[in-house]
Amino acid sequence: MNATQGRIYIKPALILFGAMLLGAFSPPAFGQNPKLDIKNLEPLAKKASEVVDVNLDGALLKLASKFMTSEDDQEGLGIIKNLKGIYVKNFEFDKPGEYSQADVEAIRGQLQTPSWSRIVSAQSKHEGETTEIYLMTASDGGTVLGMAIINAEPKELTVVNIVGPIDIDKLSALEGKMGIPRLGEKVKESSKKPEDHHEKQK
Amino acid sequence: MRNRSKLLACAILLFVLLQFLPATAVAGDQEFHSLVDRVSAYYQKRPMRFMGLLGFVANRFTPPGVGHLQMAIFEGIPSFRTPPGEELESSLEGLVGPGYQPFVRVHDNRSGDLSVIYVRESGEKSFEMLIVSIDSTDAVLMKMQLNPDAMRDWMDEPVEKGKGSGHRGGSSAGK
Repeated sequence: MNATQGRIYIKPALILFGAMLLGAFSPPAFGQNPKLDIKNLEPLAKKASEVVDVNLDGALLKLASKFMTSEDDQEGLGIIKNLKGIYVKNFEFDKPGEYSQADVEAIRGQLQTPSWSRIVSAQSKHEGETTEIYLMTASDGGTVLGMAIINAEPKELTVVNIVGPIDIDKLSALEGKMGIPRLGEKVKESSKKPEDHHEKQK
Repeated sequence: MRNRSKLLACAILLFVLLQFLPATAVAGDQEFHSLVDRVSAYYQKRPMRFMGLLGFVANRFTPPGVGHLQMAIFEGIPSFRTPPGEELESSLEGLVGPGYQPFVRVHDNRSGDLSVIYVRESGEKSFEMLIVSIDSTDAVLMKMQLNPDAMRDWMDEPVEKGKGSGHRGGSSAGK
């Protein structure tokens, strides 16, 4: 075997070895990061009349937990103490039709990976409101690693990203708090198994 | 002569009242003054005068759970000092100093008003909120102390409360 032939055989082996190294040293959660890149929605900010960002990262959640001392707060406290972050992006528009579904694709596109499942898609034709709830589950299928809520109204768009383990049964304790919209019956009526996708009309 | 006596009486009364301000407020003042100085150096502008007095009066009318309100208003700031978007925010973070966590950010495209609300813990059961609100010509700094109930109101409705802050609704910030 001459030197050129040797290089030809060595090259694929090197590539394979490199790929194995990458696999070995990349974090296990790679591709399973429940934190969405909400910055992808920046182009929409130019169309909106008002943009509100809420960032409740680990340090602020810890701060929040300090004043959740009443009995009513105990369920909410149980959820947030394990969370790594709650991020809300709210766009308000002057008139309906100022944003399109294509604009929302910047976020939906990130939720198309196998680890994300849409558990609720509710539409109110009367009010023109759509709510989608997605869950990211661990490979064991049981632990919820994160959650995303897209709430689209004719003149308002809200994206909520909750990062960290969530007990879906207790989520109602956080509804209407920390920028999380009131989900009402949407969660309750949905399946508790994230694999089942439910579509319902209000 | 009577007017002068009235003015003197008011000044004495104000001086006496200021003596009863809690020590923590005075300590907070020093930090706020240093923040105002940093912003002042950045904009190369002095803040409006009598803000201390205005803050003292405003403190009488703050909503429950909100206190130690301090403010500074900078008028006629040079536009090149208010670059758009992220550049301005990173400048702000450098100015407000360590300890403060950015909590809510509101950008009003209609007026060009950007408000960033920072929070930090202050003692055992108290929180400090710093609101920086900037448009193309003015900048407003507001610092206040919130008790757990007032802070809880903010945590419950950060989007709505954030929309109420800033130039247009700054006075309602603590409500």
